[in-house]
Amino acid sequence: MQLNRVVITGMGCVTPLGRGVPAVLAGFEAGHSAVRKLDGWEQYKGLRSLVGATAELKDEKLIPRQQRRSMGRMSLFAAQAAQDALTDAGLERDAAASGRMGCIIGSTTGSAISINQAFETMLPDRDLAKLSATSFFHCISHTAAMNVAQFLGINGYVTSTCAACASALQALGVGYDLIRLGRQDLMLCGGAEELHPTVTGSFDLLFATSTKFNQQPQLTPRPFDRDRDGLVCGEGSGLLMLENYEHARQRNARIYAEVLGYHTCNSGDHVSESSQPAMATCMREALRHAGLEAVEVDYLNAHATATLQGDREEAQAIREVFGDRVPVSSFKGYLGHTLGASAAIELAVALQGMRNDTLYPTHNLENVSAECAGIQHIIGAPLRQPARVLVKNSFAFGGISAVLVCKLL
Amino acid sequence: MTKEEIVVATNRVFAGLFEIPEEKLVPQAKIFEELGLDSLDTVDLIVALQKQFKVQIREDERVRSIRTLEVVYQFILTLEQEQQRPRPA
Repeated sequence: MQLNRVVITGMGCVTPLGRGVPAVLAGFEAGHSAVRKLDGWEQYKGLRSLVGATAELKDEKLIPRQQRRSMGRMSLFAAQAAQDALTDAGLERDAAASGRMGCIIGSTTGSAISINQAFETMLPDRDLAKLSATSFFHCISHTAAMNVAQFLGINGYVTSTCAACASALQALGVGYDLIRLGRQDLMLCGGAEELHPTVTGSFDLLFATSTKFNQQPQLTPRPFDRDRDGLVCGEGSGLLMLENYEHARQRNARIYAEVLGYHTCNSGDHVSESSQPAMATCMREALRHAGLEAVEVDYLNAHATATLQGDREEAQAIREVFGDRVPVSSFKGYLGHTLGASAAIELAVALQGMRNDTLYPTHNLENVSAECAGIQHIIGAPLRQPARVLVKNSFAFGGISAVLVCKLL
Repeated sequence: MTKEEIVVATNRVFAGLFEIPEEKLVPQAKIFEELGLDSLDTVDLIVALQKQFKVQIREDERVRSIRTLEVVYQFILTLEQEQQRPRPA
């Protein structure tokens, strides 16, 4: 069976460094961190990490009320990113309504803010009659996919890959397969997430958050660094338009890159601990699927969230597969960990950087931790050199690994 | 509450919840055809009116016959009398 080639023709994102990839690149160039100390979080008893990377929500009222009412904060981010990705791809609403465009948008949960508001409203009287109908739609797990589909009129394949921090990459992987198989011509794929004390709290309870930099938020997170102390949650949405290569060519679309390979697998071992063997296997399988050797990769954008264990396992897995031949960096020092949105935002920014012959460093990486050594970390200044083949890593609770391989065209 | 107070409070609910300009909130306005509400909006309208006026609406069959703002005002007035609510402070 002849499988279709799949390319990336559009990008849209709302991030803690602004809306659109140019805003993020400008922030990276200036060495900016989006991490802040968050007002009011100290009222949550037991919450030790009081920092986060918030995204600015504005112009949301441009979305008509009856489409907006079912959107919580993360879906508003997703709708804006979706509109931008559609426009960036040079497409109109008729393409969305053709039956040949789908969307897959993942997240860790539905709107954390709306979920909390629903319970605060209902409890302690356990009174369901006080609950808003539309807020239900903010909370359900496929809220971002559902809302983007009805906002843009997408009537193809619509689903949600809820896989925590690997949500966006799994969305891209499923979209890639659907186009390869000829089931759809266009797939708008990625993730969304919103920040709330309970989101950070869930990592905080596991001692996975950064807690030592509450008074110096710009110094955290510190992926791969000797002094890293955990992750910092962020929010936003990243969406990429995947397209059948022939379909893109026929309409003279601008093509950013081709997706050459994808793999996802599980450690089958532990719900929260990272696994070097599973990560290494996933990277190797993604390369094999792409028909590439490790030596052919020009840049690897790591997942690396600055957790002690996760960074160590990933660095060792990268060393096992790539040695020190490939430049590696994580963007979470600039953006925080945007969770379900992270892989899509980071992939979009990495590709655009590569189009400008720029590989950005790991922000806040000053002294490489001994257990993360042995790989080619990009530290301090960006590497200004051509790069065409990218490997993007994404790992999540539940032992999930996902890796995508792309090449600039 | 007086009818006038009910009108003001009800209009505030419609303006705030459904983003309807004040000038459209006239008694004869048809809430579906002219103010643009749909079935999903009526669920949230009921919750908002219950909260605003401290009356029970949800199980009341008469809510199904609401077509205009005037009917909403009259309905609230009737409910307040039936449920013998004291005037809110």
